[in-house]
Amino acid sequence: MTDSSLNISIKDVTKTYGDFYALKDVSLEVLSGEFLTLLGPSGSGKTTLLMVLAGFTSPDYGSVRFGGEEVVLKPPHLRGIGMVFQNYALFPHMNVAENVGYPQKLRGVSKEETRKSVENALATVKLHGLGHRRVDELSGGQKQRVALARAIVFQPKILLMDEPLSALDKKLREEMQIELRQLHDSLNMTTVYVTHDQKEALTMSDRIAVINDGRLMQLGTPNEIYRRPENAFTADFIGESSLLPAKVKNGIATIGSKKLKGAQKLKEDGDFMLVVRPEKLFIANKKARDANHFEGLVEDSIFQGESQLMVIKLDPENYGERSLRLRIPNGSTSLGKLPDINEKIILGLKITDSYFVEAANGRD
Amino acid sequence: MKSFCMVKKVAVAAFLLGFASFSTASFADETLRIVSWGGAYQKGQSVGIFQPAAEAMGITVKEDTYGGISDVKLMVKSGADKFDIFSSGAGGCASGGAEGILEKLDYSVIDVSNHLPGMYSDYCAGADIFSVVAAWNTETYGDNGPRSWADFFDVEKFPGTRAMRAKVDSQLEAALLADGVAKEDIYKVLDSEEGIDRALDKIRSIKPHIAVWWTSGAQHAQLMKDGEVDMTTGWNGRFDVAKLDGAKVAYDWKTGIMDWEGYGIPKGVKNKDLAMKYIAEMMKPEYMAEFAKYITYGPTNKLVYELNLMEEARARQMPSHPDNAKHQMTLRTDWYAKWRTIAAEKYTEMMTE
Amino acid sequence: MGGTKLNSNQAELAQLARREHFTFFGLTLPYLVLVGAMIIAPIGWLFFLSFIGRDGSFSIENYERMINSKAYIRIFLTTFKISILTTFFCALLGYPLAYFMSQISRKWANICMIGVLIPFWTSLLVRTYAWLVLLQKKGLVNTIAVDLGLLSEPIKFVHNTSGTLIGMVHIMLPFLILPLYANMRAIDPHCVKAASSLGATSIRAFWTVFFPLSMPGLLAGLLIVFVLCLGFYVTPAVLGGGKVIMAAMKISSNIELYFSWGAASALGVVLLAVTMLILFIASKLVSLDQFGQRS
Repeated sequence: MTDSSLNISIKDVTKTYGDFYALKDVSLEVLSGEFLTLLGPSGSGKTTLLMVLAGFTSPDYGSVRFGGEEVVLKPPHLRGIGMVFQNYALFPHMNVAENVGYPQKLRGVSKEETRKSVENALATVKLHGLGHRRVDELSGGQKQRVALARAIVFQPKILLMDEPLSALDKKLREEMQIELRQLHDSLNMTTVYVTHDQKEALTMSDRIAVINDGRLMQLGTPNEIYRRPENAFTADFIGESSLLPAKVKNGIATIGSKKLKGAQKLKEDGDFMLVVRPEKLFIANKKARDANHFEGLVEDSIFQGESQLMVIKLDPENYGERSLRLRIPNGSTSLGKLPDINEKIILGLKITDSYFVEAANGRD
Repeated sequence: MKSFCMVKKVAVAAFLLGFASFSTASFADETLRIVSWGGAYQKGQSVGIFQPAAEAMGITVKEDTYGGISDVKLMVKSGADKFDIFSSGAGGCASGGAEGILEKLDYSVIDVSNHLPGMYSDYCAGADIFSVVAAWNTETYGDNGPRSWADFFDVEKFPGTRAMRAKVDSQLEAALLADGVAKEDIYKVLDSEEGIDRALDKIRSIKPHIAVWWTSGAQHAQLMKDGEVDMTTGWNGRFDVAKLDGAKVAYDWKTGIMDWEGYGIPKGVKNKDLAMKYIAEMMKPEYMAEFAKYITYGPTNKLVYELNLMEEARARQMPSHPDNAKHQMTLRTDWYAKWRTIAAEKYTEMMTE
Repeated sequence: MGGTKLNSNQAELAQLARREHFTFFGLTLPYLVLVGAMIIAPIGWLFFLSFIGRDGSFSIENYERMINSKAYIRIFLTTFKISILTTFFCALLGYPLAYFMSQISRKWANICMIGVLIPFWTSLLVRTYAWLVLLQKKGLVNTIAVDLGLLSEPIKFVHNTSGTLIGMVHIMLPFLILPLYANMRAIDPHCVKAASSLGATSIRAFWTVFFPLSMPGLLAGLLIVFVLCLGFYVTPAVLGGGKVIMAAMKISSNIELYFSWGAASALGVVLLAVTMLILFIASKLVSLDQFGQRS
């Protein structure tokens, strides 16, 4: 199945609009058959990068190769990619079957072949027998499936998707995430997926490329990105986290007057941030050697279904005006009674979960 | 009726004497509304006739323009009250009279005893005489342009583009004159569909050379001024004005078809008696002489010539000057009353062929 | 809770809904009154008058005349010929312009739109005469072309069908461009992108996606231009030089000629009937709301 997909090699791609860098020296390898997500806030350049891959945007310079072949000068229609757009971009003047058959018609595929491939594609996206429907008779989810069927009907080696699920409601979106992932596994196309939803990215991707301000911030598996953010932006953007500013001198990190122990070795001096994931914090009855501790008051406590979220105002004398979020799974009886509002508690964070990132270009 | 008139007159006189300082315009009875064709023509009428005559009578006359006898019909039929007197060609008045939409003029009030023969009718008091002529571009033909209708219709002797009127009026007469019919016999020949067809066939014979069918005097004057066509039918006064404006245009009185314009009163106007008196005033030769200074449309009142109210040189430019009139035929409104619709439809058919 | 209380509540709510309905209908009332007073009634009156003869009694003479005289048939043919040609040339010139405007940024499109609309700020008569001044035998265009030696003889641009068409196309162009441009702007640009990502060349993408999607605007524009052309008076009268006689001109001259509304209204009735017939046939051929829906 290796020939059904291609790897994508992006090198030094830069795109400017006047003084504004939409993309700045982005280099990235997408492996053959991989599901890679471009993740970033709006305006980060992730969609621009996708449009460069599709051929709708020409970079100022840089190289884009599909399976070794340079395509940066190729017009979109010769790139042989399947693409799914944010707002579906279905042709309103064609019915479902005509929409899905459109790429086949362009390729001069016989009527019979087209009919078969359209049926197959519709079956793949679970829309059997809806070929005669008008596009405006479909629900949002169905439209998305038609757009997907249209993009895969000609078995492209590369599939690009630009926030395809953003218009769907939460429940449908979560269903579709799993379905898209399964579809990708069965079709084995190299897929580049754009989203601003980090949860979606974590759910679906083989790897995630975090993009901000036109730059690639971090590339890695969801697990790596979540656990080992390389910078404050990634730490902040992926998952929930509180960042505490720390100073490092001679390999020792301090917050105010308190020393902190960390999981990694800190070789350089300077300003760092301690990444605190709410679910990694625990209420410490007594101080332990293998953890960092923070004293504070319970400021707020919010029931969120599967978990309880608490906001802890840290002792201002030691930490300044800062607070941490603490998440405790509900129904875990082992912890006993939850602390009350304004109760003074001590929080613990295991040293193995204490991770520092450079503060240089982070955002708080 | 008569005594009521007297009462009114007395009342008017009393007002004039007693409240001379008041604007007379505030009294409906002393205000008349007159409509005409606008442009250079109405300007001459206004300055030469309408306002001086109004002043002499001590009344106010308001002027406006209108679209022809059909406007009079619309006004009378709808019972509207928009104007008291209108200026119209004799033909228009004749058809209006036949339709019963005009007041019969009272020639015991209006003195036409010194009018040229035929220059007044039951519904129209003649005021000026104009001619339809064949005008040519002197840049194209120099002095030797089409001096007769035969020349106008001779495309070999006079190659060049022509313009004729988009309406039938005076065009059939010109065609028959070109076809060799004597001017006395024109209306005899035209008094049948065959005669009308004969005239139309003559126009058909030069149709490829007719570049424009004109619809207004302003248009045919402009056509000559711009050199858009080499010759055209049209009204003599318009060409004279265009010539003063620098147009290279000339015409010969031998092509003249005389027609006249006058004043009529729509049926049922409230100020009928005053309108009648005002028309009587306007018939005076001094007004006609003054009007003729502005445009070369000659007086219907022969006293203008007899009393030498016009300079000799100017008088010679008038269609009705004896030396000019003797070459010309006169348009007959009774033929139009009888044949206009048939001739007009046939003419349109010929144009659209 | 008592059932009676709910029942009375229900009645009040129904009344509220009815009132809302009525208010809603009330919004259309001014338009309905206007249509009734300004369109339906006059057309009915026109129809009635067309059966009144010259002597004021019921008669079909106004229609007989139209059958008997070839002029009327020719005038109708001219009217439709000129209207169709004008519409055709408007589409030919207007479509590429509207397309261009729909593809550039809104700022520049607005500037272009001002250019398109400027002619609207000048009177129709002025624009028509301006063409005459430009295009007549010794007009600006011919004089310059002859002086430069581009032409040996002036071309007859005006006082004929071509002059009429030039003038009418110029005047009608905005009416085509406005609905067409609005339609093209509303076309999702992603649709065309989708087409090319799926393998369509830009020409193919245009004809298979953009063009069909612009059809409602094009049809609306064509319809507006065509119908407005049918009633044209000034431009053919001035630039046609009497060679182009359209229905409106004959309607006007018939009022003068017959002194009656009947002779003119019969023409109006026939023009209206033929126009409606054409539109009916056109609507059978192309369903006007076919592409009206957007995804």
